[in-house]
Amino acid sequence: MSATSQTVTHPARRRRRRRVRFPRGLLTLPPTFYVVLLLLGPIVLIALYSFNLRSQYPGMPTAFSTANWHDFLRGPNNPFRDRFIYSMKVTLLVSLGTVLAAYPLAYYLAFVARKRRYTYLLLVLAPFFTSYLLRIIAWRIILGNNGVLSWVLVHLHIVEQGHTPSWLIYSTFSVALVLFYTWVPFVALPIFVVLENMDRRVLEAAQDLGANGFTAFLRVTLPLSFPGVMAGFVFVLIPTTGEFIAPLLVGGPSNYMFGNAIQSLFASTADWNYGSVLALWLVAVVVVLMIVFGRYLSADLQEREA
Amino acid sequence: MRRMDRGEFLKSAGLFSGAVLLSGCGSGSGSGSSAGPKSHPPISAEPGNLAILEWGGYEAAGTKAQKYWKIPGKAYTDKFGANGITYTYIVNDSQALQKASQVPFDIMHPCNENTPDYVSRGLVQPWDTSLLPSFGELNPFFVDKSKVNGQQYMIPWDWGYASLTYNKDHVDPADATSWDLAWNPKYKGKISLWDGAASNLEVAALKLGFPEMDNMTPDQLNQAKQALIDQKPLNKFYWQSEYGDMQPALKNESIWIAYTWQDVPPILGTNKFVFIDPKEGRLSWFCGFMLGANTKNYHHAHEYVESFINKKACVDMMNIYYYGTANSTVKPSDIKDKNLAKALDLGNPEAIAAPNVHLQSWEKNRSAYDLAWEEVKAA
Repeated sequence: MSATSQTVTHPARRRRRRRVRFPRGLLTLPPTFYVVLLLLGPIVLIALYSFNLRSQYPGMPTAFSTANWHDFLRGPNNPFRDRFIYSMKVTLLVSLGTVLAAYPLAYYLAFVARKRRYTYLLLVLAPFFTSYLLRIIAWRIILGNNGVLSWVLVHLHIVEQGHTPSWLIYSTFSVALVLFYTWVPFVALPIFVVLENMDRRVLEAAQDLGANGFTAFLRVTLPLSFPGVMAGFVFVLIPTTGEFIAPLLVGGPSNYMFGNAIQSLFASTADWNYGSVLALWLVAVVVVLMIVFGRYLSADLQEREA
Repeated sequence: MRRMDRGEFLKSAGLFSGAVLLSGCGSGSGSGSSAGPKSHPPISAEPGNLAILEWGGYEAAGTKAQKYWKIPGKAYTDKFGANGITYTYIVNDSQALQKASQVPFDIMHPCNENTPDYVSRGLVQPWDTSLLPSFGELNPFFVDKSKVNGQQYMIPWDWGYASLTYNKDHVDPADATSWDLAWNPKYKGKISLWDGAASNLEVAALKLGFPEMDNMTPDQLNQAKQALIDQKPLNKFYWQSEYGDMQPALKNESIWIAYTWQDVPPILGTNKFVFIDPKEGRLSWFCGFMLGANTKNYHHAHEYVESFINKKACVDMMNIYYYGTANSTVKPSDIKDKNLAKALDLGNPEAIAAPNVHLQSWEKNRSAYDLAWEEVKAA
């Protein structure tokens, strides 16, 4: 019996021994290569530009210098620093407004729409089947001086022909409106997912314990949906800090955002060295935002799991 | 085979990334100017895939992108086809120089004030003017101004003036005698300057009375910058595209005053737009074709440019785009719009540099001009 069992087990062992053991570290090579080549590499290159160690013009002399950094961070009345503060204000305004608008939408989809919720969700997302640029150009047609909104205001005798409000386009209003429109569905999605997966029994329990609908929402639904709210907030906050297309197309001279300064310094006027300072600063700010909100979100999730 | 532990793996990944980055730190010089005369293969041996750095709207007739003019470039596309031509677009001169520094082109279309930068950076080589049958028809003033170190680096083609255009239904002509019109608070929200970097600083220099608009001292540049910051709230927007932004806005009266070239009133086609002659003087400019330093399409490039500089092509360009031409055989009688022929003073070979006209020239401190304009926009 023992002899038989030996003849059965040995070949299997041998086979196991012969198997080529693939070093586990090698499995991380593709993602490492990807991160180094496409993420860290460009950031380091931008850092080199920011310290004047590279120039976009072949043959231009380069030498280490912190002058651009000093000018941006410490220079008196630096306009780019002021533009950054303006951009952050717009970003926060848009992020808060978007979350406030997206929450009822997500709530409706999760709790009221019932069987049709995915159809409605698809309708909400429908504009995103066209390009971002085209949607912004459509807003130019809507908000323009002779645009759709202007036409409606004139025909409703709210304003006279040729006297439409100047803030309809090329203003902070138009930039914020377009960004708001762009991000509401994206923010609604994570909130919807959280609400959709919420254990409805806790709401029933709240009602059994005497809470009315509003109290149950405030004490149960809202706190439980907070991770979705925060995720949605971050979804808007991070990309909007570097936004440049909406201000370029529907913003006026005073609505130039930090992203426009970076875009312009790289693509239009030729100062990659200064543009790199601004770009690297923005990367740093986004990283800090991700750390702050990422930690907050994970803490919240751990709390829920506990 | 010894397995790689985590520390070793990270170390090797770090070394690898370092190698990648160090390779990126090397000198970026890729295109040097030719050291001596080169021999060029015959046109039949050339690939014929012309890569051209161009302003939108200037594509050769016969290409899908060109919808207006019929003759410029047509001789080339008839002979060699249009499919091999690739255009990369530019919106201002700084961007043009920047793109030319990053990617090799066979032909570039910069303006006069930039030619020394293209030459000093080794991006271009001189043309062989014997391969351009129409070269002898070009205005000697432009031809001479297009030389660098005595060599014909640019083949001049188009020229014009820059000033303000206003809508006389809304703007008092008495206000429109100076560049000050752009600073007039009476027209707040109805003005649009070009997002054209150095040009605005030159305008501010003229307004402030600085004699050398392209060679301002740092203090003068600061004053010009401040003047533009003061002017900024009066703008509805800074226009980026002549045909996409500025002309539609003038036409639908979103704006009444704009920085333009002389082509705008005739293109808009009504009598209500006036291109002013400010007391401080207009700006003027001319542009032309430059030949890539390492082009593999040497003969194709010459054929292409010849198809633009011949008289018929130049007449067509003037009649459709309302720019001036460097071809001096074009006569006022060839031009349909007699006002344009008169405004461009076609009979005068040096009209572009007439008294009270300021020809835009090379700026040795271009980067300071560019940064100053970015600061205006960010202010």
